[in-house]
Amino acid sequence: MQRSKRHIFEDADWVLILLFLLLAIMGWINIYAASYNEEHQSIFDFSMNYGKQMIWIVASLVLASVIMLTDVRIYEQFGYVIYGITSFLLLLVLVAGTEIKGARSWFTIGGVLSLQPSEFAKFGTALAVSKYLSSLNVKITDLQSRLTTILLLAIPGVLITLQPDPGSTLVYVSFVFVMYREGMSGNVLLLGLITAVLFIVTLILKQTSVGIPFTDFEMNGKFMLVLTILIITGVAWFVMKSYNKKIWSTLLIGAIVSIGFVMSVDYVFDNVFKDRHRNRINELLGIISDPTGTGYNQHQSKIAIGSGGFSGKGFLQGTQTKFDFVPEQSTDFIFCTVGEEWGFIGSFLVIFLFVFLLVRIIFIAERQRSKFSRIYGYSVASILFFHFTINVAMTIGLAPVIGIPLPFFSYGGSSLWGFTILLFIFIKLDSERKYVLH
Amino acid sequence: MEDKGSILKRTYFLYMMLGVFAVAILFKVFQIVFVQGEQWREKAENLTIQYRTIDAVRGNIYALDGSLLATSVPIYEVRFDPNAEAISDEIFNQNLDTLSQCLSKLFKDKSKLAYKQELTHARNKGERYHLIRRNVKYTDLKKMREFPLFNRGRYKGGFLYVQQNKRQKPFRVLAARTIGYDRDGSAVGLEGAYDADLRGVSGKRLMKKIAGGVWMPVSSENEVEPEDGSDLVTTIDVNIQDVAESALLKQVQKHGAANGCVVLMEVATGEIRAIANLQRGEDGRYYESYNYAIGASTEPGSTFKLASYMAAMEDGFIDLDYKIETGNGKYEFYGTRMFDSKEGGYGTITVKEAFAVSSNIAVAKIIDKFYKSDPQKFIDRLYSMRLNEPLGVEIAGEGKPFIKSANDPSWSGISLPWISHGYEVSMTPLQILTLYNAVANDGKMVKPMFVKGVQKHGKTVQEFEPVVLKDRIASKETISKVKEMLEEVVKNGTATNLRDANFHIAGKTGTAQIAKGKLGYDKVAYQASFCGYFPAEDPKYTCIVVVNAPSKNVYYGNVVAGPIFKEIADKVYSTSIDFHEELKEQKDGEELRTPVSKSGFAPDLAEVFQDIDVKYIQKNQAEWVLTQTSPDSVDMLPATIRENLVPNVRGMAVEDAVYLLENMGLKVRIDGKGVVKYQSIQPGERVIKGGTIKLQLT
Repeated sequence: MQRSKRHIFEDADWVLILLFLLLAIMGWINIYAASYNEEHQSIFDFSMNYGKQMIWIVASLVLASVIMLTDVRIYEQFGYVIYGITSFLLLLVLVAGTEIKGARSWFTIGGVLSLQPSEFAKFGTALAVSKYLSSLNVKITDLQSRLTTILLLAIPGVLITLQPDPGSTLVYVSFVFVMYREGMSGNVLLLGLITAVLFIVTLILKQTSVGIPFTDFEMNGKFMLVLTILIITGVAWFVMKSYNKKIWSTLLIGAIVSIGFVMSVDYVFDNVFKDRHRNRINELLGIISDPTGTGYNQHQSKIAIGSGGFSGKGFLQGTQTKFDFVPEQSTDFIFCTVGEEWGFIGSFLVIFLFVFLLVRIIFIAERQRSKFSRIYGYSVASILFFHFTINVAMTIGLAPVIGIPLPFFSYGGSSLWGFTILLFIFIKLDSERKYVLH
Repeated sequence: MEDKGSILKRTYFLYMMLGVFAVAILFKVFQIVFVQGEQWREKAENLTIQYRTIDAVRGNIYALDGSLLATSVPIYEVRFDPNAEAISDEIFNQNLDTLSQCLSKLFKDKSKLAYKQELTHARNKGERYHLIRRNVKYTDLKKMREFPLFNRGRYKGGFLYVQQNKRQKPFRVLAARTIGYDRDGSAVGLEGAYDADLRGVSGKRLMKKIAGGVWMPVSSENEVEPEDGSDLVTTIDVNIQDVAESALLKQVQKHGAANGCVVLMEVATGEIRAIANLQRGEDGRYYESYNYAIGASTEPGSTFKLASYMAAMEDGFIDLDYKIETGNGKYEFYGTRMFDSKEGGYGTITVKEAFAVSSNIAVAKIIDKFYKSDPQKFIDRLYSMRLNEPLGVEIAGEGKPFIKSANDPSWSGISLPWISHGYEVSMTPLQILTLYNAVANDGKMVKPMFVKGVQKHGKTVQEFEPVVLKDRIASKETISKVKEMLEEVVKNGTATNLRDANFHIAGKTGTAQIAKGKLGYDKVAYQASFCGYFPAEDPKYTCIVVVNAPSKNVYYGNVVAGPIFKEIADKVYSTSIDFHEELKEQKDGEELRTPVSKSGFAPDLAEVFQDIDVKYIQKNQAEWVLTQTSPDSVDMLPATIRENLVPNVRGMAVEDAVYLLENMGLKVRIDGKGVVKYQSIQPGERVIKGGTIKLQLT
């Protein structure tokens, strides 16, 4: 089904392409501002981050064009193969990768180019999951289908954890939205929400202790939580028993699992987590406050955003975001450069563009006739959503610092290319939607 | 396939989720920017941009001849950012080996391997501001700039350095304590006294804080330029200072002294030409660590007798020939014994003799006799010489002099005799020196002066004039009398070892016992001192030498302190043009220099002087005379030749000496040729008929 080039670009969704270009260019401007110094003013100074990012952007445009010109069918047909290759690279990096700052996440090629395979595994996994879930005999409501999907996600997830790069692992959790859209019970999301709430409440309460009335004893706050769970369970049973006689067994299991979860959170937090993880979470929950240590990044970042005010300090006028004042300034914390130099208006614009991008992707996904394309679209939306929310949230102190980049915006060739491929495969799929028979 | 409604619901739910998160994020950003904005902005101001003080370059301290005594040189603190973004693992690993090698070779403090480990560790720990080394000299910094990785510069190579100014004394220990230092805000010595001039005015510069707490300038120019400090021109003469320091060191080492000091002062102006203080450290070496000359107020001992005699002379109680019975060298004042250093005592002697031989009993008896009825009169005399007031030198920490008044509760019967020979009072070496300088300066007391002027960029901005503390501390007559007494000390007294053929020294030895805290005088330590001036006839310089707790067997002022004085005097004499004016005149053929004459038989000397046409002055018609050469004449002073007392034959020609001594019934043994330098029986001792006296000739 060969078509002319003219056709391809006419059918492509230019809104998405424009959004992509806008974000990449805005990202580059902010990287320039963040790493700007008077000695290296030229935008083509390839020793500086912005000079390199220029190359990455140009290269990503080439990649995008290649994707647009390739036959669309290979993505569905070779979905598993691509997934296999990206997963293999994750395995290979554990052996042959270069260790940088304690993590084996990078291949260095000739000392010039560094590649981070975990950035490429995202679209590989998205293709595989889409292919699997769009198969005729797969139904998300079946346990086996769900388990297979989870296995597809777990393989890259585990491999990335081994690097270790827990932040990138968490990205795969976002596929829960894809599964939800494809018919998985909403209870899973509810369960996830309960789990998250329990997790946070446990951590907060375990720091407190409560006196037991009429005695001299004190108990740890987490037992208050256990007590609360039992009471809620009791009340729920009392209210609901008239509707459903057998609800007691569900409630009992729920209570036992919840209590078990609370206790194991306590144990895992104290014994399995490393200090830096613990500190980041404690910092976020306000349990500890250490603006010069663990909380340094977020503290500096908030200062940057807060000092930007409504309209910002202006291009290159930021004082907080220069010279590595905020570590990872041009990568994970690029959003605070926006906040400092472009103010609330700039932050709002970036948030707006991302929301617009995500809404547009979901909208386009919904108009797909091909199930594969739709699921892939949701995968793209989920991954980008996760990256966007968590990245911005950690910059402003709403989420723990887990070190994932802001898509298209952050400095880094691998992440830019990974996201470009991820997005343009979808754009390509969409451009072919009229010619797909499903 | 699927229920349309349910799907739509799910899609809406996902849109809603997206909306909730987006709103949450926006809300938080809004909160940070608008609700807490003020707080963050304030923190931003404090944290990142500040006016930082730029220290001005501290002024130099110069010696009289312009040599640098103290100056500020730039030193660098070198740091390294091993995690600079441009340093990839590959670049780091490629350069690590050579870099470590270079660092190890340059500083020689750590092995190459140690540096390698250190740098690797710093990189792995994520350090951004790793300290390589402090106090790096500029030449070394230049070398370091060429090192691999470092040569990539600040951003690409992580090479960072901060300049600091370090105070250095090019002459190291030379007058170190007096020059002082300015360390951590506490400044001593001249550095402290003239801090305001030296410091200059700090500048201000807008600086930006960057990673690792480094401040870097926002613009390339200072917002407020610092103003350099002014330079100080001191009165110190480095050459004399050098001699003073080494002469002092030689003696303190020889005698194992606890400490010692020496100060040389110009008579007319009070300018301090040399000031050295040495203290024995725990390792047995000597250091300039305390300014004894200025700070240590102690019992001066015999050098104080000058003041006592001056008081009695001013009141008209005594003159040079006043005779006093000193007995057998032991005397009791109100049950407390006083000794003279000579076994058997000096018998009855004149004031002049008593001063020359430093009889304690003589001065004590005189003062006790005349002032017993009104001790405060004596004390007031001392006060009128301004001995009870500090000099007010600009260097902090001057020891306060203490001369108690007669109505002091601790005043006792023995106070008067003891004060008279320098106990129960305390003064610093510099204060004693100032007294002697006043005598040398014909009664005018000038304040010791350390700084001649303040300069800025080579231009004098302030000049200091000599400060007169007291126009006249005593009458002209008294001054000339005590001058004679001081000369006698060197001529015939306790400091004959300071006699010099070229010029005359006048002064007084002191050998004080130092009370050590509660132990009193039983546990004795000694303080040997000599204070005097030269040339005796026309004093140019006054000098004091104090050596504390010398070894037990040799503690006399002349033996311990004298040689230091002599060495300095010789050096000053040989280098000062002032002293050699006559030599120049001789060259011009206008006037001949008066020859130095031996002492001897007056008629013979007179005949010779008439023959060679040299002016001579013979005051009394004494048979035997001691000669003293003054600029235009030879003075013949009567030599005291008394029956049954061994005469002073030092300075005489051997024929005259032998003639004199054999006439008294002594057998004379001679060693050497020329003038008598040393006699085995001291002048003033009783002649034992048939005894042998040895004469050592030059």
